[in-house]
Amino acid sequence: MSDAHSHATPTPTGFVPHNVAHHFKTWEQEFQAAKLGFWLFLATEVLLFGGLFAAYIYYHGAYPETFKVCGEMLSWKLGALNTSVLLLSSWTMAMGVRAAQLSKKTACFNWLIITVLCGGAFMVVKYFEYSAKIEHGTLPTAWFHPHGPEAEVLNALIANGGQPSMFFSIYFTMTGLHGVHVLGGMVVITWYAIGVARGRYHSGHYLPIDLVGLYWHIVDIIWIFLFPLLYLVP
Amino acid sequence: MHVSHVSSAGTLLKVLVALLILTIITVAVSRVDFGGANLFVAMFIAVIKLSLVMIWFMHLKHDTATNILFILSSFVFLSLLFLFTIADWSTRGDTDPTLTQRAPVTQGVYPSSLRSDH
Repeated sequence: MSDAHSHATPTPTGFVPHNVAHHFKTWEQEFQAAKLGFWLFLATEVLLFGGLFAAYIYYHGAYPETFKVCGEMLSWKLGALNTSVLLLSSWTMAMGVRAAQLSKKTACFNWLIITVLCGGAFMVVKYFEYSAKIEHGTLPTAWFHPHGPEAEVLNALIANGGQPSMFFSIYFTMTGLHGVHVLGGMVVITWYAIGVARGRYHSGHYLPIDLVGLYWHIVDIIWIFLFPLLYLVP
Repeated sequence: MHVSHVSSAGTLLKVLVALLILTIITVAVSRVDFGGANLFVAMFIAVIKLSLVMIWFMHLKHDTATNILFILSSFVFLSLLFLFTIADWSTRGDTDPTLTQRAPVTQGVYPSSLRSDH
């Protein structure tokens, strides 16, 4: 507090003040530095998933028939349901950021909790989808050993030079990495929701809510591409 | 004090409705045969959805030029990765006639200890 540069941002009554870190001259500088850093992180996320999308492009090009047939083994209805749930959660997240900017404590808490619940609903649907695939042995690489109702079709594909295990490798890797991102987002949003209830985030300091919101939207965007590519293979 | 723009609740709701309608369109167009253009059509709709999320939910419309440049640059490099990937598999065999058949990736490449079917 004795530091000449250390100062709190304007804090509405009933909220915890936020002190600008001493190495920043102004709160605008702190805000923009954090935001730029976060966009840079999001750029690396785009490239992380981008490598997997490149793998999809390559193998979809090499085995179009395999991808078409295997894609139909995923339930497009569950995929569409999950897409809608995730889009809904993106909206509740955006509403949560808006509530934080307007210092609406209860509203912000509720929007964030609904967002986490939507993420949870997404993961529950994913759990049922994964369970069915594990049960039928339609798994990645060496674990690919189909013995469910799809086995005949899959074995016919292999006999004709198809590569169904490659589709399921890509399916599990991409949706798995995406699912880990959803779970991570749920943990962080829950953490911030507790902070919101304690009055830490308000019109003078909504930066963390803003940033986790950006992360949640990127995760949503990745699913926007996964849904048509995996469930409705073009 | 607000560094970034506070979105109106009405706008955010409109964006959600647009995204849900576009999801229905995504499913609908997958039932239509556009010849070889189905992938292009599906990705076109996905890019519209991406733009809606980035511009409105992620406030890029009201963000700084630097932040916009950073995230757009990631898509530029991503398109380079896709370009060379597509160029690779689509031209296999053009220079070496023995490579007209794409090398099959068989299950045999995995060590038998990893196989679940033995």
